[in-house]
Amino acid sequence: MVDELARKVMDGARVGAADALELYRQAPTHLLGRLADTIRARRHPPRIVTYIIDRNVNYTNVCVARCNFCAFYRPVGSSEGYVLGFEEIFRKIDETMAVGGNQLLLQGGHNPDLPIAWYEDLFRAIKGRYPELRLHALSPPEILHISRINHVPVPEVVARLVAAGLDSIPGGGAEILVDRVRKLLNCYGKASADEWIDVMRHAHRAGLRATATMMYGTVETDEERIEHLIRVRDLQDETGGFTAFIAWSFQPEHTERGGVEATGIDYLRTLALARIVLDNVDNLQASWVTQGGKVGQLSLAFGANDMGSVMIEENVVRAAGASYCMDEVEIVTNIEDAGFVPKRRNMHYEILGDPIFREREVPRMLELATARSAGDTSVPEQLRQYPARSRAGKQLRLAQ
Amino acid sequence: MTSSSTFDRLLDRVNAGERLTADDIAQLAATPDILSVGMLADALRRRLHGTRVTYARVAACAFDASFANAVPPVAREIRITGCPTSLTSARAAVESAKAVAGDRLVSGFCWQDVERLGSNAGLPVARVLAELRAAGLEALAEMPMDAIDDEAAVIDTLRQAGFDRLRLTVAKAPAAERTGAMLRAAALQARFGGIRAIGPLPTVLDALRPTTGYDDVKAVAIARLAAPNIPTVQVDWQRDGPKLAQVALTFGADDLDNVTASDEAPDGRRRAPVEEVRRNIEAAGFTAAERDGRFHPVS
Repeated sequence: MVDELARKVMDGARVGAADALELYRQAPTHLLGRLADTIRARRHPPRIVTYIIDRNVNYTNVCVARCNFCAFYRPVGSSEGYVLGFEEIFRKIDETMAVGGNQLLLQGGHNPDLPIAWYEDLFRAIKGRYPELRLHALSPPEILHISRINHVPVPEVVARLVAAGLDSIPGGGAEILVDRVRKLLNCYGKASADEWIDVMRHAHRAGLRATATMMYGTVETDEERIEHLIRVRDLQDETGGFTAFIAWSFQPEHTERGGVEATGIDYLRTLALARIVLDNVDNLQASWVTQGGKVGQLSLAFGANDMGSVMIEENVVRAAGASYCMDEVEIVTNIEDAGFVPKRRNMHYEILGDPIFREREVPRMLELATARSAGDTSVPEQLRQYPARSRAGKQLRLAQ
Repeated sequence: MTSSSTFDRLLDRVNAGERLTADDIAQLAATPDILSVGMLADALRRRLHGTRVTYARVAACAFDASFANAVPPVAREIRITGCPTSLTSARAAVESAKAVAGDRLVSGFCWQDVERLGSNAGLPVARVLAELRAAGLEALAEMPMDAIDDEAAVIDTLRQAGFDRLRLTVAKAPAAERTGAMLRAAALQARFGGIRAIGPLPTVLDALRPTTGYDDVKAVAIARLAAPNIPTVQVDWQRDGPKLAQVALTFGADDLDNVTASDEAPDGRRRAPVEEVRRNIEAAGFTAAERDGRFHPVS
């Protein structure tokens, strides 16, 4: 049965849910890798492996969603809650551009005290100051949250954010696109599977490109993991809006859910399966930030053609216990050591050039930055301009 | 190497129990096609060990610390870390470890430590080894092949001193040099015997230029293929980390060394090291089996 399926995959046939399940459960790990690697080689024949230099900034950790797999969020009113000021974000952009970065990945909690005007003003301010910078911002649940608290329909939210400078959308918050799982993870309220898909559909129709993600390794069954992949594939058939797919494993440390992390082999098998099932998504990223540099590099033999982002800063995964770091030198070393050619890219996977550190001196980075230094509880002055919805938020405004 | 006919030919030979030549090994070491190398090593590993993966809980204790406090009952081996400058102190450390160990194996030191102790004491290494052996030392913790000039003489000396469970390691040799070391290890085993295990991943880590995942799994696979006459290919659970160690099991490794012997886990029993080790072994499709420091199964 597995041999027959392997031949089917090698012949380029589309794999259904039952076949995917059989492959995932029964195929030897090396065979899954071989199938995924063959597909990657067909799609990316010149042996180029890409990466992006961008910064992963979390503008706030205050969140009302309360997903039980998240160690990053703080509830409204928490003394550890923060919102970054525009000037803080500008400083981060300056640091990003200094090491050759061309994009800001901006995501945050579902903060009830940030109205849509705050996002619009921030985006306009960023674009006014850094017209070349690409804004890859706000995952579908964040867009849905903005829609809900501002009573503005999702298509209009998307249109207003695009008008303010939004360039593309990260695929965060997908977790597993099955409502049974989402209810158990307490993330059904932030966005059901249909709602996540629907926001992406609106975004794609508005001309935005996006990534798709999957956080696996919590409570989902193998069948549900595959259902997630099929839902992404179906939307991609419809819109063609996804540039890439990124899978990562649930990081359990310090989370309410707790438990254990899926293993490295599970990651490589899941990645390979994603490459086989997602026959209409060009790019698969390696999640070195959750798997570490070594398994991250091995991902290139299991279907990945992209090493993701240099990141510069990371807060969410670190809060849950993983603190891997790879700067551009190390990412490039890993790509070349695996026999591939490294190229810098943008979010649209257009090649920007060779490694920046070979063009000019760039300082080595041995640790990822955080949103704020420890003990910094400052409240940005400009927050006063925006009305708060929560009692804690209103009190904070009054105290300013 | 990436041609399927070449791969099929090599796989047939491995499955038939035929040994690959040095040229075959060199060719495999040069290819970026790690999946093919891994499949060959996995085939050989399964022929030698089936689906069994062993692991050992080791209590590591500094030579100048209290062994009584550092050795949990579940430890299957006591490994002395560091090395004093004098043979008297080294012998005392071994005796202290042995007093706590009972019938469990005591290991410690590396070959360079032995030479240094001999030099400091003005004694030949054979005498140093004899004294440490008499104090209760059964195995050297590390024998870095890339840091030993005359490997044959060293193996011969150790064998004559009664060390019969040798564990060859690599300190920091680049990947290209490790292939030669693995072939030499196989030749030493054929000549002297007594080599129980080989640890092909570097014991000295370079933070600015760490080895890569490709380097590591290929080194494991090449070790397995180059030295089929050495029973065990090890990775180090703590130093190499659970993710790489687990993946290495599918590239020819059959043993997880240096699992911490303490099951004290703040997050509960499921997070305890031994449970984590067994979960990783089983998730890679293998059967977990605990062993002691002498490579005997623990029932």
